[in-house]
Amino acid sequence: MANFRLFKKSVMMAMRSRKRFSTFVLMYTGLIIWMSASLENAGTITKAGWMFWIAIIISIILSILYAFVITQARRMEIATMKCIGYQNSEVRVIILGEIIWVTIVAFFIVSELLIHLTSIIAYINYDYVHNLMGNFKPAISFGNLTFVVILFLMAQIVGISIAYKRVLKLRPIIALRVMK
Amino acid sequence: MKEVMIKCTNVNKEFRLRGNIIRALVDINLEIYTGEFIFIQGPTGCGKTTLLNVMSGLDVPDEGSIILDGEDIARASEDRLGAIRRQKVGFVFQDFNLIENLTGIENVEALLWPTVLRSKEIEDRAIQALRAVDMLERKDHFPRDMSGGERQRIGIARAIVHQPRVLFADEPTGNLDPAAAKMVFDLLKTLNKEMGTTMIVVTHDASLTKYGDRTIKMDRGRIVA
Repeated sequence: MANFRLFKKSVMMAMRSRKRFSTFVLMYTGLIIWMSASLENAGTITKAGWMFWIAIIISIILSILYAFVITQARRMEIATMKCIGYQNSEVRVIILGEIIWVTIVAFFIVSELLIHLTSIIAYINYDYVHNLMGNFKPAISFGNLTFVVILFLMAQIVGISIAYKRVLKLRPIIALRVMK
Repeated sequence: MKEVMIKCTNVNKEFRLRGNIIRALVDINLEIYTGEFIFIQGPTGCGKTTLLNVMSGLDVPDEGSIILDGEDIARASEDRLGAIRRQKVGFVFQDFNLIENLTGIENVEALLWPTVLRSKEIEDRAIQALRAVDMLERKDHFPRDMSGGERQRIGIARAIVHQPRVLFADEPTGNLDPAAAKMVFDLLKTLNKEMGTTMIVVTHDASLTKYGDRTIKMDRGRIVA
């Protein structure tokens, strides 16, 4: 229960940092669309072309960058939390909360865009779609989209592991001193 | 017979700075009793903040033992020190160290978020703490909308919300004007009397020590009086 509360509070704090939050949601949205579209065109991951793999590499780099940005931007918060008694595992929840939430929001944005795009195409070209009902499919399938988001979340682990060692390894008062 | 809250025995601490060894604490031996209001006073660089940090578990000594409320914290793990700070210790910082993205009441509640307390109980305790420091009407404001004195009162509320056994304050009025400083010390004295919390305050200003029961004077890492 305490961890879930910390996750909710982390989400709340993330959304109050509007600039950082919206910037990374937009970047993640673009990257998820790119990766999903590449995978959709290829059909399977084994046939995915170089664009898909470049997108994977970019997503790992972006997740490392984002984890670094969060720990840098929130370093005083993190150091203060450690000073008032937060343990490393609890600070991890705070950092993870923001990263996971950004990924979830980007996922929902992409899902909404695809749903509306599919609906618009079906509505405008109803007769055409009606004749092709057996062959009609959305631009990006839900399965591929979900798979890509899971890959994204796994890529975050790399970023988190690298970025928060800088803060969590330090004793609280030293973290506070270093961050000032 | 008074109960010993903190006992330091042969505490030493050094720092390395640009190849030089700085002996911040030298053979510190002292006892602080429950309910006392103690000042640690001395010139800049004498080691008073370092002493405060090791007594509160924010830092660890290189040698010696520190018994805080019956537990040796000098050799405790980082996680155990965090638990002790959450349960028994309150800390008031000179720079307030409030979280800017949280309102006044959220800053106070933050200390209790990782606990198993229900949200309603956390809120009630935070309101109680804010009432004690006369900041209830500002509970929904962010630190950026507060004066220095108001921020420090929020900091004090955060430090007492979990009813600590001992409260440490590192130059709590260092960034405040004289009127706000007096208000903060009157508040600390009231909390000491009403809650029985042991208070340990670091200051370089000898004129403030009249608020305390006892003053420990330091110079060059040693207790001199």
